[in-house]
Amino acid sequence: MTVGRPSPAVGIGYRAAIGQWTRDHLDDFDVLEITVDSCIDGGHAVRSATYDLVGRIPLTAHGIGLSIGTDAPLDDAYLSKVADIIERLKAPAYSEHLAFTRVPGRDLATLLPLPKTEAVAASIITKVRHVQSRIPVPFLLENISHLFEWPDSTFSDAEFLNLICGETQAGLLLDVENLLLNSLNLTFDPYEFLDSLTAGIVKEVHLAGGTVVDQPFLARPYFVDSHSHPVPDEALDLLEYALRRHKPANIIIEREGRLEAASELLEDVERVRTRLANAIGRPHAESTFGSAG
Amino acid sequence: MPNRLLDRQVSLLEYLTSAATLFSEEVDAPMDQSLHGIDQGLLRLEARFCCNRRIKKIIAVFPRTFEIIGADRGRILREFVEANRQTDINTLANAHQFYEFFLARSRSEAPTLPYLLDLAACELAIAKVRNNAEESEKSFNLGQSGRPKTAIRRYRSVVPLRCGYDVRSIFEAGLREVVPPKRDTLFVVNLAADSCNVSILEVPPGVFGLLVRLDDWVDPRTLADVDDVENLVSRLAAQQLIEVQA
Repeated sequence: MTVGRPSPAVGIGYRAAIGQWTRDHLDDFDVLEITVDSCIDGGHAVRSATYDLVGRIPLTAHGIGLSIGTDAPLDDAYLSKVADIIERLKAPAYSEHLAFTRVPGRDLATLLPLPKTEAVAASIITKVRHVQSRIPVPFLLENISHLFEWPDSTFSDAEFLNLICGETQAGLLLDVENLLLNSLNLTFDPYEFLDSLTAGIVKEVHLAGGTVVDQPFLARPYFVDSHSHPVPDEALDLLEYALRRHKPANIIIEREGRLEAASELLEDVERVRTRLANAIGRPHAESTFGSAG
Repeated sequence: MPNRLLDRQVSLLEYLTSAATLFSEEVDAPMDQSLHGIDQGLLRLEARFCCNRRIKKIIAVFPRTFEIIGADRGRILREFVEANRQTDINTLANAHQFYEFFLARSRSEAPTLPYLLDLAACELAIAKVRNNAEESEKSFNLGQSGRPKTAIRRYRSVVPLRCGYDVRSIFEAGLREVVPPKRDTLFVVNLAADSCNVSILEVPPGVFGLLVRLDDWVDPRTLADVDDVENLVSRLAAQQLIEVQA
């Protein structure tokens, strides 16, 4: 554990498309989040550029390809690759989405929700334990944004996450934007969601900015997690509230769209730091996971 | 067991990739009983997000082809999606799938411009070359003369391509400037080791034929039917078109 690292550390998700820009602004961030799948699928140049960051800035590992919610055995070959990359990155934690993206023979790479039932929770708990047995760093589950619910769900999102994380000691990667969008689309109180979470469960945070879509076949406009715009103030309000009961190690701002406006990320980082100062002040306690850098 | 979660997940992905969900006039496309109770408007929105991501990947591989296709683009892409559900997220796999569809479609409905298929093939070859170059780092120290040579192979980042039009002019001069000349042309699409630019080179039939044969490792002694094979192999190795395993 390294004393003196800002906690929570504030940074961005590393994207190869703005790799050079990110390297030019490394001093503006405390941490970068690496998508392990870009190392697996991205080819030599992407891998080299990513591994070149090791030691220059703390890195944390995030995945999009596990599909832990698919009702089929986990892909051990994939997990072995993830374990290798985490070791290479010296990442102190590995996060994935509580979702499914594929079934055998068909992959949409879209994060889809699971029925929130006891049976599904039991299956996920077994799988989380399997991941934990293969990956030598703490495993975190992320709440996704979802447009629809399975009608047989019996738990709320917060109850489902509490149950799985409680049984497995997995942490929660709280995606505040996803929480905000779900609260708007599915009409619930996001502050109640935060109050319902087990204290201390949140180990990392994601923030992003989305868009609104309206179509003739929709009953009303819907909010979409497009990762393309500045973080909205409502999400920062939720972050500030969440920080009262949780001490995440990292706060990561995600951006996929409008990368030509990458400088907005620097403004978002500053806005987050201002909210952090409001919520907890600086300097703060050491990070939960320590430093990878 | 109809209520098994995997069966429901399969049904959901089938529904999200079906043409009826994406395009039919009615929102309530027929759905499996296991999905009843889920808002179909929201499923259509989810389906369109997935489809748009896939289409974006395909257009990124064929930018010039789609620019020439112009106003027909929406119709052709819709036909493609109706005929080919998404199975894979890989860009190259989806681009391949589109090219095969475009090729088959041209047999019943000729493209507006006769060189479009060649252009699409060339853009696909460029994508393959970039992908293959990323996949395998070249080892350039193997092709030096004087070493015993036991096996040769075309570099993975070298793609031979036969065209009916010399479409290079489209890449060089821009879409609106030229109509490519109609003539059988043998190309090698290649990403040189010290460059990030893909080159499209015209090669003589002998070179083209050899490169096509060298899709996998071949003992050069089995190429006795090729004129002056030893010199040719040395030359292609020096040009970093083939790799030589000593």
